[in-house]
Amino acid sequence: MTSGLPELLRGVAETDAAAILNLGSRVHLQSGAVLFSLGDDAETLFLVERGRVALTLPLQVGGRDEDVLVEERQPGETVGWSALIPPHRFTLKATALVETELLGLSRAALLDYFATRPEAGHAVTRNLAAVIGQRLQVFQAMWLREVQRVVDHRSA
Amino acid sequence: MEMFLMGLCLSMLGVAAAALAFGAATRGEPGRAEGEILAKAAEAHPLTVSMGTPRFFAAGTGLPPHQPVPLDVLLLQIERHVRLEQAAAESFINQPSSASLHSRTMSPLAH
Repeated sequence: MTSGLPELLRGVAETDAAAILNLGSRVHLQSGAVLFSLGDDAETLFLVERGRVALTLPLQVGGRDEDVLVEERQPGETVGWSALIPPHRFTLKATALVETELLGLSRAALLDYFATRPEAGHAVTRNLAAVIGQRLQVFQAMWLREVQRVVDHRSA
Repeated sequence: MEMFLMGLCLSMLGVAAAALAFGAATRGEPGRAEGEILAKAAEAHPLTVSMGTPRFFAAGTGLPPHQPVPLDVLLLQIERHVRLEQAAAESFINQPSSASLHSRTMSPLAH
């Protein structure tokens, strides 16, 4: 893992961070292996420890679905926050771009821990909100740029 | 003096004759060479590629319009487009302004 805590555990007390990391189980993926697919039940949140994960969505190209890169996750970053957000279904497909190691944290284990340590739950939730907010802002800006191009094209 | 003038005329005549001879000898060469190069290029690349509509002062986008693009090339272009758009969006989030939101992209898919 990168130096310091993963983004999900920033601001969490050291003992809580260590306890949360101990809840996890290691997942090892070869290059090209799929971590989860679009629409799968999201029971587990992942922290990237080593390697890179591509998050893709299907795009219709030439009459068939092709996975198109939407985002890329690197060591220290979080993959699969749908595990903590209803309706708990993955909205992207995650694939290892290179040999990758992750720490999988099950929703049940996390929620049980947060029930006993609300401060830790609060800090993790804040970090999760930052991850989700970042994606929202990026995609909002990307969407507006595309709309602007459509407007430019139509008014040209 | 007469000898000098005669010499001068003869030398100028010689220079003019040499220039004419040189021009006649070299005039046909580029055409033949060009033809050979084009023929070789046509053999090497049997598919013709349209150069697209000529445009003044317009930077080329790399691929002519309405030309079928191989799937893997298109997917790479899409991936590059997404990366460039994400970078532009992140730049906007770091320094929100109308100019940074609508900064131009290098992506050929956006043109």
